[in-house]
Amino acid sequence: MADATTRFFESLDRRGYEPLLNKAAGTLRFDLHEGPQTTHWLLRVDRGNVEVSQEDREADTVIGTTPALFEELAAGRENGLAALLRGDMTVTGDARLVVQIERIFPGSPDAQGPRRLHQREVR
Amino acid sequence: MGQSNTIRILDGNTFVVSEETGDIEATPSEPTGLFSLDMRFLSRWVLTINGERLNALSYDDLQYYEARFFLVPGMATHYVDAKLSIIRERAVGGSFREQLTILNHDEKAVDLEVRMDAGADFADLFQVKDEILNKKGELYAEAESDRLRLGYRRGNFRRETVISSSRPARYDRNGFAYSVHLEPNEQWDAEIDVQTFAVGPGGRDLRLGVTVHGHERLALQHDLEEWIAKAPKVNSEHDKLAAIYRRSLIDLAALRFAPLSLGGQTLPAAGLPWFMTMFGRDSILTCLQVLPFAPELSKTTLRILASLQGSRFDDFRDEDPGRILHEMRYGETAAFEEQPHSPYYGSVDATPLFVVLLDEYERWSGDVALVKELERECRAALKWIDDYADLAGNGYIWYERRNTETGLENQCWKDSWDSISYADGSLPPFPRATCEVQGYAYDAKVRAARMAREFWDDPAFADRLEREAAALKERFNRDWWVADGEYYALALDPDGRQCDVLSSNIGHLLWSGIVDHDRAEKIARHMVGPRLFTGWGVRTLAEGEVRYNPIGYHNGTIWPFDNSFIAWGLRRYGFADEAATIASGILDAATYFDGRLPEAFGGYPREQTKFPVEYPTACSPQAWSTGAPLLLLRTMLGLEPHEGHLAVEPVLPVGMGRIEVLDIPGRWGRVDAFARGRLDLDKLAD
Repeated sequence: MADATTRFFESLDRRGYEPLLNKAAGTLRFDLHEGPQTTHWLLRVDRGNVEVSQEDREADTVIGTTPALFEELAAGRENGLAALLRGDMTVTGDARLVVQIERIFPGSPDAQGPRRLHQREVR
Repeated sequence: MGQSNTIRILDGNTFVVSEETGDIEATPSEPTGLFSLDMRFLSRWVLTINGERLNALSYDDLQYYEARFFLVPGMATHYVDAKLSIIRERAVGGSFREQLTILNHDEKAVDLEVRMDAGADFADLFQVKDEILNKKGELYAEAESDRLRLGYRRGNFRRETVISSSRPARYDRNGFAYSVHLEPNEQWDAEIDVQTFAVGPGGRDLRLGVTVHGHERLALQHDLEEWIAKAPKVNSEHDKLAAIYRRSLIDLAALRFAPLSLGGQTLPAAGLPWFMTMFGRDSILTCLQVLPFAPELSKTTLRILASLQGSRFDDFRDEDPGRILHEMRYGETAAFEEQPHSPYYGSVDATPLFVVLLDEYERWSGDVALVKELERECRAALKWIDDYADLAGNGYIWYERRNTETGLENQCWKDSWDSISYADGSLPPFPRATCEVQGYAYDAKVRAARMAREFWDDPAFADRLEREAAALKERFNRDWWVADGEYYALALDPDGRQCDVLSSNIGHLLWSGIVDHDRAEKIARHMVGPRLFTGWGVRTLAEGEVRYNPIGYHNGTIWPFDNSFIAWGLRRYGFADEAATIASGILDAATYFDGRLPEAFGGYPREQTKFPVEYPTACSPQAWSTGAPLLLLRTMLGLEPHEGHLAVEPVLPVGMGRIEVLDIPGRWGRVDAFARGRLDLDKLAD
């Protein structure tokens, strides 16, 4: 079901290296809670190298949220830091890892980006 | 300072603004309160005795984190009859603590009803600023036997104020009270503790584990003493200079701010009360100003800005890959995306200035490791300049906000709506490009070339950057030169038409080195000429321009920070006397503000007003005004890192006397600098 979520983690796992994480080291677990059920995604980050698994292991940082919100984050329709401030996402452990990981989430699919003067008519 | 008769104490981004009695009665026009994480946790805090309000005899803001109020009951005319004294001593440091002491001077015993009204509106700082006060969530108040809980809930967003007391009190939803019996000459006291909570769904606080230093009073005091002890010492014959320096150091300590994501390390926040958060531009410029005195701020600023560097396109936040943030906020409007500050990226100068600061920091500190650590981010910043900022495709940095509702129109330091205009006073369309930002881009490329060659082992990239910088300089000197006025235009419009007003922005061009040598003298002459220079400093916009107004925010006032960079630029091109003239004017002005320079002051001629007229702004102390005297000191002393040692080449104004700066830290260890005033400013005016 959670399409963007699975795609997000699988693509990360396939890349194996994420330059935006080259200063990060540690383990980070996402706990996606829905009723009595919790889905886990575990990231092991070592200076840019990333391994993804679905183990329920202890981690330096644990992020808790709902599968629905995570799906929006993975699709670029929600912003992680705003969700944290709202309390829709919780963090236990090392907060620095969260800020680093947040940056690898995609931007909005509707984003236009810089509006260059000579392309305006085309857009 | 700033707001009339308000007392401010702070620690990080927790601060209290109150009346001179210590009371808080927030109204839209009196933005008093206890604030934390960009929200107001107390909007009412009023002490009464037997139903009577109290009057201030005196108050002391002892340190930036503590204050003391001496009060008596009744109105001013009743002072002589006062048989009671009340002392309120308060401090912020994590929580807000207030010690109440009541002394009975009467020869008979008294029974007192001591009451504190307490209330919280949980206004977001943006709502306070813009006077919007209809909340979308639910406010609640719960009186328990040993505490009062004031809260606000909107979905999972929860903020709580919890008030408790060292002495048993009777709590109700609107405050708490004590019944006190005092014998003659007896004293009573109580310690009140006000905790602020940002509660997540698991009951955990957002800020958990983030502390700059211990929050106890002693820890705060120790931290401040250490901060001052670590900084260079300034001795001077000029009776005020050492005091201005000390004031700046203490304010800088107060303005340190620990973002949630840096594990307790600090960077300078922009200013109290509205800007106790990180701003790309303000934090970077402040770091540049204070490098010879507090270099460690640069390291943390660069790291935190790098860790939040833009990584994708986000039109709401005006984010692009490689862009350095403009402003970060933690309040309700940021959380619910009613404001874009989570973080907001709408500034075009922070990105090139990030590169400039990294290079300048290395030249002072020799911290090659940081230059290597941030290589990727530097390259991304340079790529942003070339790929995403050049909206007109002609090799300049332009801006046009994509967030048209809550984004910033003017994304340069002069960010008010009417700051950029043509000589006829009309405003140009978007995108716009302002001159000083092109200078920053030039400087960023030149400095990045040095880093690429010396530390990144990439001479080809260095060559490319130098070619690009040279081409930019040539292009800029062709397109921006206003021939009949002999200065550079403030900005270009999308058709390449010049906004041909004379402005202070061109002073920054000297600092960046983009000015052709044969034109530098013309710019220097404008800087100390009658249209821009008032005797105190350089106006943001020259007298005689259509939009000139001596109290126009960016159209005629004098900004101390602006002047400090102009002085640095004059010095760079060898105009040491002109630099000293500006330094002298700004430091003279500082003496009228007890050593604490405001954000801006009026652009009236010095002979006309005799004293600098403060611009009516609520923001003081402000980081880059605090940093200005430090950069002016550097400029007057001619401090410059040179091949591993510190070069000193002082040119002081005559009245300045002898200055010594001891223990300047850097790659050389610690060295001293000495200077004696020689320059006769009156001669210069002839």
